[in-house]
Amino acid sequence: MKTFRDTGLLFHRYTLQMLRNPVWLFVGFSSPILYLALFTPMLKHVAPTLGVRSGGVLEIFLPGILALLAFASGISMGFSTIFELQAGVIERFRVTPASRFAILIGPILSGLMMMAVFDAVVVAIAVGVGFQVHWLGLAALAVLLGLLAALMAAFSTATALVTREINSFAAIINGLNLPILLLAGVLLPISFGPVWMRVLAHFNPLYYAVQASRALATGTFGAPAVWQGFAVLAPLCALIIFWATRVFRKAVA
Amino acid sequence: MEAIISTTDLRKQFHSRRGAVEAVRGVSIEVGRGEIFGFLGPNGAGKTTTLRMLTTLLPIDSGSATVAGIDVARRPKQVRSRIGYVSQLGGADELATGRENLILQGRLYGGDLASVSSRAQLLMEILDINEFADRRVKTYSGGQRRRLDVALGIVHEPEVLFLDEPSTGLDPQNRAHLWDHVRALRSRGTTIFLTTHYLEEADVLCDRLMIMDHGQIVAEGTPRDLKRQVSGDSVLLSLHDEGGALARARLLISAEPYVRELTTDGDQLRLYVEDGSAALPGLLRLLDRERIALKSISLSEPTLDDVFLHQTGRSLRDAGTNTTESAA
Repeated sequence: MKTFRDTGLLFHRYTLQMLRNPVWLFVGFSSPILYLALFTPMLKHVAPTLGVRSGGVLEIFLPGILALLAFASGISMGFSTIFELQAGVIERFRVTPASRFAILIGPILSGLMMMAVFDAVVVAIAVGVGFQVHWLGLAALAVLLGLLAALMAAFSTATALVTREINSFAAIINGLNLPILLLAGVLLPISFGPVWMRVLAHFNPLYYAVQASRALATGTFGAPAVWQGFAVLAPLCALIIFWATRVFRKAVA
Repeated sequence: MEAIISTTDLRKQFHSRRGAVEAVRGVSIEVGRGEIFGFLGPNGAGKTTTLRMLTTLLPIDSGSATVAGIDVARRPKQVRSRIGYVSQLGGADELATGRENLILQGRLYGGDLASVSSRAQLLMEILDINEFADRRVKTYSGGQRRRLDVALGIVHEPEVLFLDEPSTGLDPQNRAHLWDHVRALRSRGTTIFLTTHYLEEADVLCDRLMIMDHGQIVAEGTPRDLKRQVSGDSVLLSLHDEGGALARARLLISAEPYVRELTTDGDQLRLYVEDGSAALPGLLRLLDRERIALKSISLSEPTLDDVFLHQTGRSLRDAGTNTTESAA
């Protein structure tokens, strides 16, 4: 009960902070729209040569963008953690009796909510240019993306608490960012790549998220990618949140 | 004296690439309820580390500590609801207003919105925050921010308030203003535990203090008692050193029964005497009789810096720079 209440308070706080930071809002909205506007047109010409029917371009591309958004919004969470550590905010919260789990999860949930808003805008735009919505699939996709974003956010926050300063944190995050993204087939399906890439991708959680996203976007619930995606993300998410809460409980010297 | 904070042989080690650093080496303290208790020492002396152990932010390596009668290591949660802590950084949300900060803080301590709002209003009046309470914190001046930080630390009416270097970065006027607020808090029954590396702050504000160096306590007592431990007052004589006057004066003065210690520094003689104002006439008569010309003479009562110097062989003003590195 107390955890629930504290989570609400810290969710509200973080949301207010974000809303009062117009630059951040602008970037949050513009990056997915830029992907849609500046990348999709190119795909349309490439699609036939890859054996994708031109109407199916958005079906492949949009879920990838949404997964990319979830991944990026989660993994960048630690930057604000670093800032709040250095400003003494985290320490101020840690000395109160507030639930440690709430200190972690409040901002993460706030981030998820904002991601949902961005996603809704992106999907609306996509519908405008011919994307066909499968409502049930979209609902399941929202859950999947929530798991992905929460898992990355918890990972990023905990990494920030462990490294405690911007240089090491940024080095770790940037070092992980690119290989994970490239080996997930976010922009183009990994099935276009050579065998060794396809094998490596199977060690990448984001790959499962992207594959499941593509299946869910077309409402293909029967595809193995769907259960595989949830089977990989759900336990991983729980594990990472458990670890991150532990990091919060232990001292951050 | 009812002890509200007590520690026994508190220790903390940090491990870095260059090996282990003992930041706190056996600190035992007792702080009475309703005191303003100070921790004085140079940067890196272990003051903040001790404070962080007492406020549940850092695990205790060995030794024990109780705050408000509760064991810090075993029941950190209960300790947290009884203490307030204002770090050097403060940590208020810059994008929120002072009032919003206070209300959130109060609610994290479990208060309901109505009672927290009225408590926040009261605190803003007490600490002169009202005028800018609904402005965002990033527009606050240093003194305004510090007052908000203190308000955040006491929003839940803690029994003990911990202040880590409360007046760092404040100008003298704001510093004096803050001291008034701290005294007012004490008169309302809050115990205040603060760290400082300002001699004046320790001297003027604290009822009792402890001097810390290299993780250990080197002296403890009221500022008055501590200063009395050092050899009385110091007299500084500046002489015209003609025809060996300095050497002659040194010899003569050191033979005087009331002189405890004598040091030379250039053309200056510094002597420590039991009672400076009683010793001056005799000194002047002696020098006059021996026709030794004086440039100037000054008398000063001992400061806490003299206490530190006496205990560690270094001046507190110089000590910070040597020790920060080893403790970082």
